[in-house]
Amino acid sequence: MGEVSLAEQITDYIIKNKERHYRLAYSYVKNNDDALEVVQESIYKAISTMDSLKTPDYLNTWFYRIIVNTAIDLLRKRKKVVVMDDETLSHYDLSTVDHYADIDLHKALEDLPIQYRSIIVLRFFEDLKIEEIATVLDENVNTVKTRLYKALRMLRVQMDDCR
Amino acid sequence: MDDKLEKLKREYMNIPIPEELDFTVRKALKESEVNRMRRKSHMNRIRIAAASVAAVFTVLIVGANTSQVFAATLSKVPVVGSIVKVLTFREYTVNEGTFNADIKVPAIQGTENKTLENSLNEKYLEEGKSLYEGFNADMEELKKNGGGHLGVDSGYEVKTDTDRILSIGRYTVNTVASSSTTMEYDTIDKKNEILITLPSLFKDDSYIDIISENIKKQMVEQNKADSDQYYWVEGIEQDSSMELFDKIAKDQNFYINPEGKLVISFDKYEVAPGYMGVVEFVIPTDILSDVLVSNEYIK
Repeated sequence: MGEVSLAEQITDYIIKNKERHYRLAYSYVKNNDDALEVVQESIYKAISTMDSLKTPDYLNTWFYRIIVNTAIDLLRKRKKVVVMDDETLSHYDLSTVDHYADIDLHKALEDLPIQYRSIIVLRFFEDLKIEEIATVLDENVNTVKTRLYKALRMLRVQMDDCR
Repeated sequence: MDDKLEKLKREYMNIPIPEELDFTVRKALKESEVNRMRRKSHMNRIRIAAASVAAVFTVLIVGANTSQVFAATLSKVPVVGSIVKVLTFREYTVNEGTFNADIKVPAIQGTENKTLENSLNEKYLEEGKSLYEGFNADMEELKKNGGGHLGVDSGYEVKTDTDRILSIGRYTVNTVASSSTTMEYDTIDKKNEILITLPSLFKDDSYIDIISENIKKQMVEQNKADSDQYYWVEGIEQDSSMELFDKIAKDQNFYINPEGKLVISFDKYEVAPGYMGVVEFVIPTDILSDVLVSNEYIK
């Protein structure tokens, strides 16, 4: 009984939020076909691992996490992304973004390392809370805060509105 | 929020949504639901089988008896192997712009055991027909919603055709922007004219663990040699929320290759990400020798 209703809730959630899922996938893979593939594969994964979802309260972050991981897997396969380890990341010097100053904002966002870009997308475009982002990206809250701060600085956005 | 972020957000929200999205999502939901149910019934079947080992023995005895009968019948037939063949019995095609279907239904001919031949051929025809009907239903639904892309390509390939063994694989590729592929095999003993099932090859259920362990080892080794060879298995997949490959099903898809080796096959998405497609593992015969009923088929 419990499982049937969970499966139904997941199905409803997926159908209702498909456009948001597609956009999130697209923000990583940047093309229609790959984004559809990520959405499709995420659904397969979600349904087959639904037992790992303890309560429907976490449905959104749980599914976002599957999408982000699936998208990164696909990019890795296509060799379009270098996922940096923490050490490399910590040495990611802010001076390296100086030359973006004259290029448009969009390009600056695209050129952010994927860990930073993910946080911008989830925080400002998908309106997730810091805690939720930490769950989606499987990082701790402080790491997310640090990266958000750094990402914003790289984007040369004023800090006023960001907690 | 800052102007610039607002602008970036607008750009993000304006990412165009393709018309296929709704259909892709519904199709994926439907397919994964079917897979989940199938997996569940596999589990049940394993439990039932484990509970009554006797059942397996019964099947083997029937098999042996039947073979004797057939052996006697066949001794009167001078040429055996060469007359059994596979041909395309029926073909369904749809070609309407963005909607394309090509479904080839195979049929086996020339065996003496008409019961076996007919039951396989009926199954093939039945499945081909329902695939075609399913495609038509999906197509109508898409048309109602303003169109889209839809394709199905189904056919067969003879994997092995020796004097002794005939392995036929039937594939179905569903295309909605990206595709899913399923593969299903039937292997028959041409001499004794019986359908070979995976459990019938082995003395007991221990083959499930032996083969599963070997496949897991092969997966990790392949990944070490080439990181693009990715599987959802312990030792490769780090994401703890993923369901990892544990064991093959009791009646996992398999065929016997021309060298007499057992080949285990997994559908797209079954044990690996989509880009890996249908994956196959050749199982070394030496690790099976203790559990094989005989070396008649597997060498």
